[in-house]
Amino acid sequence: MIDWNRREILKYGLAFPSLPIGIQELAYGTAFPERPEKPKKRILLICNSLGFYGKYFFPRERGELNTSTYLKGFSNPEKLTVVENLFHPGMETSNHDSEKSFLTGAPHPESPHFTNTVSLDQVLASKMGGQTRFPFLSFSIYDRGWGCSWNDQGVAIPPMHDEEQIYNRLFGQEDLTAKKREIRQNQIVLQALKHDLLVLEKTEEKSAVESYRRLIRQLENRLEHEVHWLSAPKPRVSAKLNEDPEFAFSTKVSNLFRLARLAFQTDSTRVITLSLDWIYGAIDVPGASGGWHTLSHHGGRKETLQKLSCVERDILRHFDQFLKEMDQVSEPGGSLLDHTTVVMGSNFGDSSNHTCQNLPTLVAGGGIAHQQHRVLEAPTPLCNLWLELLHRHDIDVDRFGSSVQDMQLLAN
Amino acid sequence: MAKDNGRAILEKYCLDCHQGDQAEAGQDFSDLGGRLSPITELIFENVATGKMPPADADHPDKGEKRLLLEWLASRSPQVRFPSFRRLSRSEFVQSSNDLLGIRLDLTERIPDDRGSFRFDSNRRIALSQEVLSSYFSVADQMLEFALPRKGFPVEQEWVTNKLKDSHSSYNIYVKDFRDGLLFSWTRANNGNSYSFFYDHFEPPVSGWYELTFDAAKVGDFPETVSLQVHGGKYYFADDRPQPQRLLGVISLDNREVQSHKIMVFLEKGENVSVHLHSKHTFRKKNSNAGGFIRQMRARGPVHESWPPPSFKNIFPGLTTHAEKRTVLSRNESRTNLQKIGGRLTVSSFQPGMEKEKMQDGSNQTFWHTRFHPTLAKGPHFVVLENPMRVPLHGLRYATWSGGNGNGQVKTYSVESSSDGENWNEPIVSGKLETRLANEQFIVFRKPVDLPFLRFLITDSFSIDGRSLASVGKLDVMTRVEPPVPTQSIEILGSTAVELEGCIRSFAERAFSSRLASSDLAPYVEIGRQELERTGDFVLAARLAIKAILSSPRFLLFPGKYSNDSYARAAFLAKVFWRSVPDQKLLEVCRENRLSGRILDQQIKKMMSDPRSRRMVQSLARQWLNLRAWKTISPSLKLYPLYDDLLDHFLPMETEMYLHYLIQENRPVSELIDSDYSFLNQRLAQHYGIPGVFGTHMRKVAFPDDVPRGGLLTMGSILKVTTDGFDTSPILRGAWVSRNIAGIPLSPPPENVKAIEPDLQSATSLREQIDKHKNSESCASCHKSIDPYGFALESFDASGQWRSRYRTRLPHRGTFQYRQQGYYKMGDEVDASGEINGKEFRGVTEFKALLNSNQQRIAYNFARKFFEYTNGYAPDFIQRLELLKMIEDQNGSCHTGDLVRRIVVFSLEELNR
Repeated sequence: MIDWNRREILKYGLAFPSLPIGIQELAYGTAFPERPEKPKKRILLICNSLGFYGKYFFPRERGELNTSTYLKGFSNPEKLTVVENLFHPGMETSNHDSEKSFLTGAPHPESPHFTNTVSLDQVLASKMGGQTRFPFLSFSIYDRGWGCSWNDQGVAIPPMHDEEQIYNRLFGQEDLTAKKREIRQNQIVLQALKHDLLVLEKTEEKSAVESYRRLIRQLENRLEHEVHWLSAPKPRVSAKLNEDPEFAFSTKVSNLFRLARLAFQTDSTRVITLSLDWIYGAIDVPGASGGWHTLSHHGGRKETLQKLSCVERDILRHFDQFLKEMDQVSEPGGSLLDHTTVVMGSNFGDSSNHTCQNLPTLVAGGGIAHQQHRVLEAPTPLCNLWLELLHRHDIDVDRFGSSVQDMQLLAN
Repeated sequence: MAKDNGRAILEKYCLDCHQGDQAEAGQDFSDLGGRLSPITELIFENVATGKMPPADADHPDKGEKRLLLEWLASRSPQVRFPSFRRLSRSEFVQSSNDLLGIRLDLTERIPDDRGSFRFDSNRRIALSQEVLSSYFSVADQMLEFALPRKGFPVEQEWVTNKLKDSHSSYNIYVKDFRDGLLFSWTRANNGNSYSFFYDHFEPPVSGWYELTFDAAKVGDFPETVSLQVHGGKYYFADDRPQPQRLLGVISLDNREVQSHKIMVFLEKGENVSVHLHSKHTFRKKNSNAGGFIRQMRARGPVHESWPPPSFKNIFPGLTTHAEKRTVLSRNESRTNLQKIGGRLTVSSFQPGMEKEKMQDGSNQTFWHTRFHPTLAKGPHFVVLENPMRVPLHGLRYATWSGGNGNGQVKTYSVESSSDGENWNEPIVSGKLETRLANEQFIVFRKPVDLPFLRFLITDSFSIDGRSLASVGKLDVMTRVEPPVPTQSIEILGSTAVELEGCIRSFAERAFSSRLASSDLAPYVEIGRQELERTGDFVLAARLAIKAILSSPRFLLFPGKYSNDSYARAAFLAKVFWRSVPDQKLLEVCRENRLSGRILDQQIKKMMSDPRSRRMVQSLARQWLNLRAWKTISPSLKLYPLYDDLLDHFLPMETEMYLHYLIQENRPVSELIDSDYSFLNQRLAQHYGIPGVFGTHMRKVAFPDDVPRGGLLTMGSILKVTTDGFDTSPILRGAWVSRNIAGIPLSPPPENVKAIEPDLQSATSLREQIDKHKNSESCASCHKSIDPYGFALESFDASGQWRSRYRTRLPHRGTFQYRQQGYYKMGDEVDASGEINGKEFRGVTEFKALLNSNQQRIAYNFARKFFEYTNGYAPDFIQRLELLKMIEDQNGSCHTGDLVRRIVVFSLEELNR
């Protein structure tokens, strides 16, 4: 088994000279269990919040992936499906707010009275999250406090955006004595708070007390989960993060993909969301610089489109690299990619016009019998696909968000 | 009665246009009789702010208008908000700091849970598990800072006048000068901050440090010299910018050396760097102008008092015993080798490049083997003598930086000897980086205490093949960093009874209420148990305080109060101080006296307290979106003059201005226009105002020909309404409409082609927008949005005045900073427009137009301030109250009064 792992390393060394040393010393116990078992299912959900320019993203000829300007030349075309004609109902006037509903499908996020609903990843995590150190992870580029993940109360789960911090959360070694002391203290504090809630309950408003009680319960569970994982050493990896101040944006995107791969590979989590979000500030990618948002309003102008496509290509380049790397990690019964469903999508169909029809949606990996390009005749709720993904991950529900039915879009 | 009248008025003034399929702007009001649709809000706002009916139509008189608004208000859907809100992360940090008596900003370690809500206080933001658990850990960190487990680190003092090495190409902007250093233009080439970190000072713990620069201005120019003091982690002196945050700015106008002090917070292991750039020294090599620094003295970690205020705050009334605060001098100028009484010998040397140059703390000076008049033959080596036989853990080596790299060591081995003649097998050998200027460490597998070590150079770089060796720095590693000595403070009489007293006092301040024993019990209990378990009074108090800071009584607002005065005090402290009431205010509440005249007095007092600056800062961040400040950096290609100083002072201008409007009760119209602002030398330069010297911010009157005054023409606002490259009249227009003019915007209708003009095709900018406006469905909104942006077209993304657009030019290869940037001048700016049938030719006329309806400006400000204060937007009935406050003031509405009245009104609403 160790030899097998070494081969894995060699392959990495060859494929990615940019990795200084390559991945080594994965904790065998967690990544490669002694006894072969059913491959673990994982999922990565990505929202590219300014979308992709449709004419470059979608294949020009039906069914032919290599007629897509962006996707031709992808390393694993046989493991991709682009689905055309998906949309979220209720986003007609949502503009950028539609981003909040990407994984929830909750309509009219622009309304001042909007409360979001639970996001797809959280439903998945509630089922798939119990066996890993992190029930789920959510990443974003910027520190906006929200990304793709929303809890069952519709409250944003702040994504992690600092690559180094993510790296340390996943792989950094901790002072276990201090950690234990902290957990013990936190448990005592929770006891005190529970006690106080009993006092408050008599006089205070129910809703406040209830909402707080729920938080305390969640924290108790979380601490228990932490105590459990305290006894298992964190996996060690020697892969490093990239640092390239010239293309900070590009570097960040590639690092987030790398961290996602490492997290899956070490079985630190099985559910990840990645919010490729934006701010008004300008970014630099190879070939272009400017405000991503400004560029996204290309209005069909050639020069602006050219720059925008540099940004989009850059993101997809890292995405392709990620898929390639995932596919090069062998697991019993296939590659890591074969056991990980990856969705690259967006809340915008056309960010230049702020419209949310025909959302660019790409599904990769996951052991799906891929069809490269599937065009739906009628506009179809994206939540149908979300529902199908829930079913594919053994979650038996009848509906999710605005879903109508599981259309078996990914069944060939 | 009012109902029918209201309906009648609506029919009389509105339905002519807003009815049927052909209704203006697609807005049909005729079926408004039944359930109210979302457009009610639009009607209400448009009537309230006088936007509708349009200028050329019949208008309702004052009474009719009121009736119509009341009718609309009475039909407004009851929007239910939660009755409480969570503390925002900045309120948490601010309150905890005040309670603990420390200053430690850990806001960034708490996730920002604001989402896309504008105001931090929004009641729809629910406390989440993630935020609560980060409060647990942040509380731990703050408590560790206030009551460190292992005592307070002693105060230390460092004196240094040496820089760590930086990339050679930038060293030309700093030089040895008199008995110190002269900084001329150290921001260096591409606008990034390169490394100019001071050596020999590294904070051993995070904390407050006093930095004293003995410095003077050098050069003949009227401006003062602005010395930027940055903090950051020095990592290596390659040609890469290194992240540094600006800690403060020192203004040098003195020719004789004087001490300039600055108090800064530094993280453990950070370094301090100095930057200075001015047009007088721009890219002048070996300039004789700039800022001369004889030396930097650092002292810390410092506390405001000893014992630190945290002790008084947390253990009031208890007697403490603290040893006198000691100061440990850390004279770091000696090398480790000198400290252990060692010395060096070398195989050969070139005069001027002697062995001492390896031990002088700089690697701009260096030892070099002899090459003239004859070439020294190898082997080249350095012998380090260790007569006291101190165990050595390794060597610290650095190349000499700059020059052609001749002699830099490629491979080496280290040997030991007991007599200096017979050398043992190498202890270690290996490779060293050549082009790297920072220190490289050669670590021995185990400590070596033999009296002789030989650093043998087995291969080195040479441009012409001659055998050469050179070393910038060489020193020994004697031991791992010694732990920082600490001083403990003893608490006398530390029994369970005293503990309960401390917990009570802390909890009552945190919860702004008197507490019954049963309320306090959960917190006292865990404190007591911890005291029993550990016997440690401080740890027991820490645990109870941590629970108090995580309590719903602290984190959910409003809490539970023992009387109305406490409730009011807690509310006021949130609004004005973003924190909890102080001891004095709580004393007023004790006998429930916070009402009537005393309430008014207290409000005045709180508003003039320095803590009220937090309110203004918070308002600017939330209302005016200055929170986005750091995410937008103007392009140095288009705006090459934008720099750290502007970035530092521009938001300050806005905060000081708002503070002044409120403190001095200035007319609300000054939000839009005035003839003064708060500037310093750098901001005055930016705005083209002569004769302002020095760094301190002060009130400056604008000359007549300067088109500034009011918020809209401030660099800060002009910057945050762009992406740093281009300006967009639509973005700015929407921003001004929403935030300043208070024009309600309805979202773009379905399937509208949104355009954002791109300045690279500036010729078609107007055309594009005009085209946009010519389309029927766009025009109705855009004709009221865009003009607000057109007026600001006269200002670029850095906030500077422009009469022509700049069009970006490409640059070859890597970006090289240059003062003229990379742009050519494009088309002329047209800042004219039309609002409600009234034309304006530029920003001055635009501001006059805005101010012609001061009520609307006041109403908008009132709405925003209400929302900031209460965490929800006022409902229609509350808006009518706000309108009344403004109308009562008869035309000239004053900012301070308005703020005060809204707060008083909000207090009344609390009891509703």
